[in-house]
Amino acid sequence: MEKKAFTRGWMVAVAATLLVVSLFFATGCSKDEASSKGSGKTLYLYNWTYYTPESVIEKFEKEYGVKVVLDYFASNEDMFAKLKAGGSGYDIVFPSQDYTSIMMAEKMLLPIDKSKIPNLQYISPLVLGKATYDPDMSWSVPYFMGASGIAVNKTKVADYARDWSIFADKKLAGRMSMLDDMREVMGDALAHLGYSVNSTDDAELAAAQKLVNEKWKPNLVKFDAEGFAKSFSTGEFWVVHGYAEAVFEELEENRWDEVDFFLPPEGGPMYLDSMVIPKGARNIELAHQFIDFIHRPEIYAEFLDRFHFPASVHTKAAELMTVEPFYQGEDLANYELKNDVGADLEKYNEIWQTIRYVN
Amino acid sequence: MNSHIQEKRGRRLGITYSAPMGLWLTFFFLVPLCIIILYSFLKKGLYGGVEWEFTLTAYRQMLNPNFMRVFLRTLWVAALSTVITITLALPCGYAMARSRHQVMWLALVIIPFWTNSLIRIYAWIAILSSEGFVNEALKALGVIGESLPLIYNQGAVITVLIYMYIPFAILPLFTTIDKFDFQLLEAARDLGASKPESIFKVMIPNIRSGIITAVIFTFIPIFGAYTVPLLVGGKDSYMIGNIIVDQVTKTRNWPLASAFSLVITVVSTIGVIWMMTSTASERARLKAPAQVVDANGGIT
Repeated sequence: MEKKAFTRGWMVAVAATLLVVSLFFATGCSKDEASSKGSGKTLYLYNWTYYTPESVIEKFEKEYGVKVVLDYFASNEDMFAKLKAGGSGYDIVFPSQDYTSIMMAEKMLLPIDKSKIPNLQYISPLVLGKATYDPDMSWSVPYFMGASGIAVNKTKVADYARDWSIFADKKLAGRMSMLDDMREVMGDALAHLGYSVNSTDDAELAAAQKLVNEKWKPNLVKFDAEGFAKSFSTGEFWVVHGYAEAVFEELEENRWDEVDFFLPPEGGPMYLDSMVIPKGARNIELAHQFIDFIHRPEIYAEFLDRFHFPASVHTKAAELMTVEPFYQGEDLANYELKNDVGADLEKYNEIWQTIRYVN
Repeated sequence: MNSHIQEKRGRRLGITYSAPMGLWLTFFFLVPLCIIILYSFLKKGLYGGVEWEFTLTAYRQMLNPNFMRVFLRTLWVAALSTVITITLALPCGYAMARSRHQVMWLALVIIPFWTNSLIRIYAWIAILSSEGFVNEALKALGVIGESLPLIYNQGAVITVLIYMYIPFAILPLFTTIDKFDFQLLEAARDLGASKPESIFKVMIPNIRSGIITAVIFTFIPIFGAYTVPLLVGGKDSYMIGNIIVDQVTKTRNWPLASAFSLVITVVSTIGVIWMMTSTASERARLKAPAQVVDANGGIT
């Protein structure tokens, strides 16, 4: 009897330990930490997930005899918070336009030495015209410019509007999702109504709020930025608002014909991700070499091919591409960069609460 | 004299032994908690972070009816899931305690935890979605023609939460039921109690501490749930955990996120205090008869 109680106690202790340990594993972080080899330098990049072409990285490592360590972020806010909290040691970071300008204002960046990057000649002047915060690339070099769009499963939906009003279509109710992203959804609504995606006008914002809450939201299953591509690939969602690369990443290539991906012609919010060198970078020279390497036309075309991106920021790469991009650079004509709205972000927050928290 | 020294040394060793744990808790629990409390009373920085200026803005913002709605919803979801979890876990714990294959049952409860929780949530998406296993099976059996909306709603959130946290309820229930003297049930039956009566009037009060532990182990993590409502919830499934993440990663309002975290901490603390006081009172109750006997002995 004594012995039985003893072993039972042990059993429970072991079970509890296993439970706790497994919890640690379940929630533990999985940061890629590569040990740098003795020879050569190590370049530390901090980029978005699914945004760095492996083949290009390998070529760079080989050509320069260095090692590249990649760390990923899922949102600008994550990245910014980490850098602000003292996370340093990255040589190149890839923020979007609003955060590029914030990081410039907060004096978190090192200047770009343009004489070391001859390939800057290929950067499209059109893009620099939109990058009003840094039009001469003193602090940031464009990496890619794109926008979210709408993916429609053509095997499920036959006739539909090819613009933002698709979300007001009651026939598709319960089969559609929009990104769980305040600036994106608000920007879409503002653009659909003919306003700027950066509007801070109360009446315009109220109209956009009304459109989302009364016309779009009743037809949506959910606001989803995590699993929408998976749900789209299984046929659960028929119409999703999101990024092309995320949608197609989940689909086998032989099913790509089933999908109509388009950018609504009314316009909407657009992003421009740039390469910046944060203060505290250790390999400034190498960082410049990497930026120059990326914008080498054949290398940049390889990057675009990998993700089926249009050559929106590069003037030379389009002709070198071997695959058809998911959408064309010209589709971005009516699109507007999401700028930082500063303190007016609070207006957006309040509206977003009525969209997200109240059902 | 000798024993006195020994006792003294023992006490000193006790401090030495507990020092690592104490230091660990101080650094990794108390210090972050203090930072959270501090941040909740500061002004929000324009680009995240805080400015060193005392203000109650975060708490004023928290009273916003939109947030209150989410708070009440969280409370409701956590309470309902906990009640269902305990109701399901009680018979499980009972069956396990009475089984001859305890090790096997324990292993079966634990093994799913070796799989990453995110993967298990995605597995639930595969089970519940409109072309998922449940709907396909029901369609094949001809029970339904159209898919049932099993996912992206509150029901899915509660189902998956119960699944995620039921082991935390089963384990403490199993340990207390295992220690329970089942002869008491027989005695109750001999004294005329019906089977349910013997369970509810004799067993349940005796395993009270296990039930309280199970309630706390499920209610507290569910109250702070984040991933489950995000992934299997719909438009109507936001919980406090989601608000906190939003405030940090989207709206750059760290003080408000801290204030909400503090609410969760306070709710958890109340739960733990309740657990401690009720186990203490139980212990006192169990000791009471012995004292009476002692007193009688003193008289005779």
